[in-house]
Amino acid sequence: MNSRPEAATLAHLQGRFAAALRESGPASEAAIRQLADCIVDDGLEPARRVQVYRNNARAMFEGALERTYPVLRRQVGDERFAVLAQEYRAEHPSRSGDLHWVGEKFASWAALRLGGDGRAWLADLARLEWACEEAMVAARLPPLAPAELARVSPETLADVGLALQPSLRTVTSPFPVWSAWRAGQAECAGEPVDLALGAQHVVVTCGETGLVLHSLPEDQFLFVASLAGGAPLGSAVELGALDLEALPGMLAWLFGEGLVTALRIPTNESILGGELE
Amino acid sequence: MGDVLTARFPGGPIPARAGIGLRSAHQDELVARRPAVAWLEVHTENYFHEGGPHLAALERAREHYPLSLHGVGLGLGSVAPLDPVHLARVKRAIERFEPALVSEHACWGHAGGEHFNDLLPLPYTEEAVEHLAARVRQVQDFLGRQILVENLSSYFAYTASSLTEWDFLAAVFERSGCGLLLDVNNIYVNSINLGLDAERFIACVPAEAVQEIHLAGHRRNRVGTRDLLIDDHGSAVCPEVWSLYQRAITRLGPVPTLIEWDTDVPALDVLVAEARKADSFLEKARELAA
Repeated sequence: MNSRPEAATLAHLQGRFAAALRESGPASEAAIRQLADCIVDDGLEPARRVQVYRNNARAMFEGALERTYPVLRRQVGDERFAVLAQEYRAEHPSRSGDLHWVGEKFASWAALRLGGDGRAWLADLARLEWACEEAMVAARLPPLAPAELARVSPETLADVGLALQPSLRTVTSPFPVWSAWRAGQAECAGEPVDLALGAQHVVVTCGETGLVLHSLPEDQFLFVASLAGGAPLGSAVELGALDLEALPGMLAWLFGEGLVTALRIPTNESILGGELE
Repeated sequence: MGDVLTARFPGGPIPARAGIGLRSAHQDELVARRPAVAWLEVHTENYFHEGGPHLAALERAREHYPLSLHGVGLGLGSVAPLDPVHLARVKRAIERFEPALVSEHACWGHAGGEHFNDLLPLPYTEEAVEHLAARVRQVQDFLGRQILVENLSSYFAYTASSLTEWDFLAAVFERSGCGLLLDVNNIYVNSINLGLDAERFIACVPAEAVQEIHLAGHRRNRVGTRDLLIDDHGSAVCPEVWSLYQRAITRLGPVPTLIEWDTDVPALDVLVAEARKADSFLEKARELAA
């Protein structure tokens, strides 16, 4: 078999192609030219053909971020968002054939770039949107009936943990992120964000019909966040500084929303209800 | 040729009729109305997750329609190794949704740890045939079933190519035991973009390999004095593609045919109407074959 010139091998072509897609600025011209040398010139400039793929790669990445952060995009504007997307792509290129997770680091990355003009709340809005993204694809377990909790003896109740739906996410912010998220929904587009509303504490869940975002008072939020972090009921009440009189109402809400999936009873390490393996 | 692989078809095999790509905008309406389309196809990667409304909607839809899983992210022809996590998720989706058909593309997509999330063309060389066929065998062995491999739309041709596109696909079919998913729109796009002989492609593709056909729309861009077609799946199937499609099924006989519409997705009824049109041509092909 004749030996093939190096530039014609699959590995070499894919290396040149990758460089032409990856490079930006002055380096991109040389990379595009090197790939263009491997392309049939039939009268339509090969570099312009390469540009179609460069545009596609950029659009695919940017489109994935747009789907994850639609509210942030509306807040910063299409042009600014596109610039952010390309800067983010240069630092955090896609590492998977599944674009879904490409925005995983975007919220923390954007936090360093969005606070300069008094809009630090945008970074928290991004965190909330990522929480929504995670909630939308999490498993949903069968909810536990509240009667199961009623079977626990009162003296051990404080040590019982509640396993919550895998989709549950908690986001707290000194800014009104729940209001900002609401104002950024397509049906509410244009509503101004009143920053004077102050801190908001959001619990994100997802049922079969879609996302639900609950804005809770701080004590209730900390109680739920502590439970989600694995704290037993007694500790969660303390960590949230939750008034004991509010506890029955909070438990009724958690069970009523179908957010409790199992009880963790530490005395015998038993678990009632379903949990992910 | 690889071993014959079998698959379970709990929802029944996909009939030689027209189906539509299921998009999230239509998922609830489709289950509520159950329009008369013969089968559904979804992008495999959209169903890699643990749960959520989209998975639940697909679970409901597959109770009423046979299903095909169409992958866009494996990058089968990449020189870099296949992503084992991605491949495992494909297998999990197959176990969960039990599709009658599973397909991917004759493309590459990642290098140096970076994924470009696009269907990038391979040169049509003996080396690429060997490489792609080996990768298809690897995937089929892992999944325990046959996959279909789809021809691409391309925006350039490599000077290194020594085979025609149809000979390339035929060789991959022969050496891997895969089936072929013939995208007629892609053939037309390549005929304009690269000067490919579309009629000859249809005439020469191995008939016994083709198990599915895709039809879609494209966008026409003017570049200098030339047209460059962009395969955006964002409009109705054009008359030239319908014409090529009729020639294809006249030669191949009736083949399960999908209406793909992924961007600027219209009302569900528009897709159903396109599927009905494809069905009318399939019926004529059935009569000719009888």
